[in-house]
Amino acid sequence: MASPATTSDAPARTGAPCRAGSDRPLALVPVRCCICDLDDADPVAVGEDFEYRTSPDSFLAVRCRRCGLVYLNPRPDNQELDRIYPPDYHAFNFSEGEFGFVYKVRRRLEARRLLRCCRALDPEARILDIGCGDGFHLDLLRDYGLPGWRLEGIDSSERAAEAAGRRGLTVHRGRVQDLDLPSDSVDLAFMIATIEHVDDPPGVLAAVGRLLKPGGRVVVVTDNAASPDAALFGGRHWGGYHFPRHWNLFTASTLRELARKSGLEAESVSQVASPVNWVYSIRNRLVDRGSPNWLVERFSLRAPVMLAYFTLLDALLCRVGKGCLLRAVLRKSP
Amino acid sequence: MHGKPIAIIGAGLAGLTAATFLRRQGIPFILYEAGPTVAGLATSFRDPDGFTYDFGAHFITNRLAAALGIGAECRTVESYGESVRIRGKIHRYPLGLLKVPRFVSDAILSRMTGGASRSGSAAEWFRATYGRAMADEVAIPLLEAWSGVPASDLAASVGEKMGTSVWKTFYLKYASRRLGRAVASGYSHEMPESPDVWHVYPEGGLGLLCRRLAEGLDGSLRLDSPVEAIEVESDRVRAVRVHGREQPVSAVVSTAPCHILARLVRGTEALRPLARFKYRPMIFANLRFDGRDLLPDTVLWIPEAGRPFFRLTETTQSMPWLAPPGKTLITADLGCEVGDAAWRMDDEAIGLRCLSHLEEILPAVRGKYLGCRILRTPVAYPVFLRDYEADRLRFERSTGIEGLVSIGRNGEFAHLLMEDVYWRTLKHLRRVISRGFNVRAAAA
Repeated sequence: MASPATTSDAPARTGAPCRAGSDRPLALVPVRCCICDLDDADPVAVGEDFEYRTSPDSFLAVRCRRCGLVYLNPRPDNQELDRIYPPDYHAFNFSEGEFGFVYKVRRRLEARRLLRCCRALDPEARILDIGCGDGFHLDLLRDYGLPGWRLEGIDSSERAAEAAGRRGLTVHRGRVQDLDLPSDSVDLAFMIATIEHVDDPPGVLAAVGRLLKPGGRVVVVTDNAASPDAALFGGRHWGGYHFPRHWNLFTASTLRELARKSGLEAESVSQVASPVNWVYSIRNRLVDRGSPNWLVERFSLRAPVMLAYFTLLDALLCRVGKGCLLRAVLRKSP
Repeated sequence: MHGKPIAIIGAGLAGLTAATFLRRQGIPFILYEAGPTVAGLATSFRDPDGFTYDFGAHFITNRLAAALGIGAECRTVESYGESVRIRGKIHRYPLGLLKVPRFVSDAILSRMTGGASRSGSAAEWFRATYGRAMADEVAIPLLEAWSGVPASDLAASVGEKMGTSVWKTFYLKYASRRLGRAVASGYSHEMPESPDVWHVYPEGGLGLLCRRLAEGLDGSLRLDSPVEAIEVESDRVRAVRVHGREQPVSAVVSTAPCHILARLVRGTEALRPLARFKYRPMIFANLRFDGRDLLPDTVLWIPEAGRPFFRLTETTQSMPWLAPPGKTLITADLGCEVGDAAWRMDDEAIGLRCLSHLEEILPAVRGKYLGCRILRTPVAYPVFLRDYEADRLRFERSTGIEGLVSIGRNGEFAHLLMEDVYWRTLKHLRRVISRGFNVRAAAA
């Protein structure tokens, strides 16, 4: 008589393609909507780590039926962070040497955007960048901002903190909730492309809120889950998923809900043009369909023409309220 | 009330999904399984010769695999197709049927002369929906072989889930061929279908799903523990009896077949109509052969009178790893009744009977025959008899007993595929907890 099956014949090719040495599945944990604390969501997308191929897993993005938050469920356990952020992860080494012309243009653009947020600041303001990565934004504030500004970064990755340290920046290593920083001391905080990576967005924002001076602000920039690129590629390839590293994806309305839950007041939610999700959505689709490498490489952070084209497109979309990125200014009550 | 656990009856896919959900919510429960292992109908078998087969041929989707966190252990199913044999000729299903002039003209005619009525029989519904030719030559013979009763005795609702639009089917089939992945088409009814959702098969068989779900249930899972009775008082569930002892419960989530559930419930007459609900028993004859790709497609439907089987499935066309290289497996589905001649027939004799019919469809197949393995199940498909259609519709809305929900393929008395079982179970359980256990099992 037959026995229950346990193994199958070789050659085994299970799961998604992955880089050498990464074929062990990740430890995945089930989670709830971080805003509603409910487990009541519908599946919206199934994907893989198209960009870094750090594991053979497939990942499910779901949408909370109550608030509309899109989140990864199940998602990698916190102990897997070193796996899913490999040494070649772009946020650790976005340098001029690596990215050339694109690096220079992005510096200019980002400097203008950052300084616009800093207009009303005191000459001796304390500015904090949470999830500062290699210190790209802090570096800009140092180069283009007022000389009296006190700039500090926070990042939980050792590699990131080291890279920022090499730039001569002050970086606290750890999670903002766990660090013992003086409360009511920060004039302005930035969370640029950070909130979507963290395991507990309300907890992080509440912790940031404690650090802010009364009336202080935090500027949150994150992917817009209600943008046309998300609608077009949302079933699998949308760059915003960044599988499996973006754990929560927001819309203007879920960002406002998040602010409320974290005890902050949403002063404004606007949009910022960015080509990245367009380029990576197309790239992911090409990679998934086995397209030739020369074509795939046309869609990357090293392809200035494509980046320029999609920046223009997204700038137009921002005008009609459909840009790729959201920028929320949240304020601690005075 | 929150101190009392919820009792879940049956550790198959639905029962385990329910248990996992409750565990995550921190709600106390006990999962009772009558048998010595988990998995129920979702069991896979692998015999010493290297052939793997399930209770009937099944696969899941990449979406369900991702939800369970087993994507890394699944293989992509690269292609899946169905054909129908009509008057000795093979037609691709469903689009190939559009090339048969009499099917098309009859279908158009039937659409023009008015739609199908839900209150009539399945025979009338199929004729009104697909036209007389397609209904009489394909749909009705298959339905009758599958259910074991004349289509005039079946309720029209049996056909309702079959309606995916031709355009959508065409688009998904095209995507499937273009992507080299078996894109799900007509498979998922709970969640949307798209080119991003395709079939996968867990390494080592479908049992992996249930083993994964069972992880961490520990003390809450009771094997070899058949529920002997569900005690109901004033139309509300009060307790279950297991091993002769009474266990007070806040609710009961049952995956038992309806006629068995009707027998378990004590203290009310509300479920008496369920005792008449009939399930069609099935024999799955897993025939092994030398060679590959013996059938024109993974599935071949045989709406021909006088055949012992109505469907043949060569699983290796979609999942080549289910048989050793150079060998293949064809599963024949034989409708039967418990205790009838086919049910009692010796395994080898079933194999040979199938073989002699198969020879008429696939000449020269006899020389390749390598023997068979037979699986029998007394509960395979729900039969929607018109006799109890009103009771069935009432049951679809609610069991009529507070605190009693009936879930899963057998429990819902519906022909649900694996992914739908999963999402529907979650939906039912959310309703259970959102009502503070004041349950009236309900469909939308």
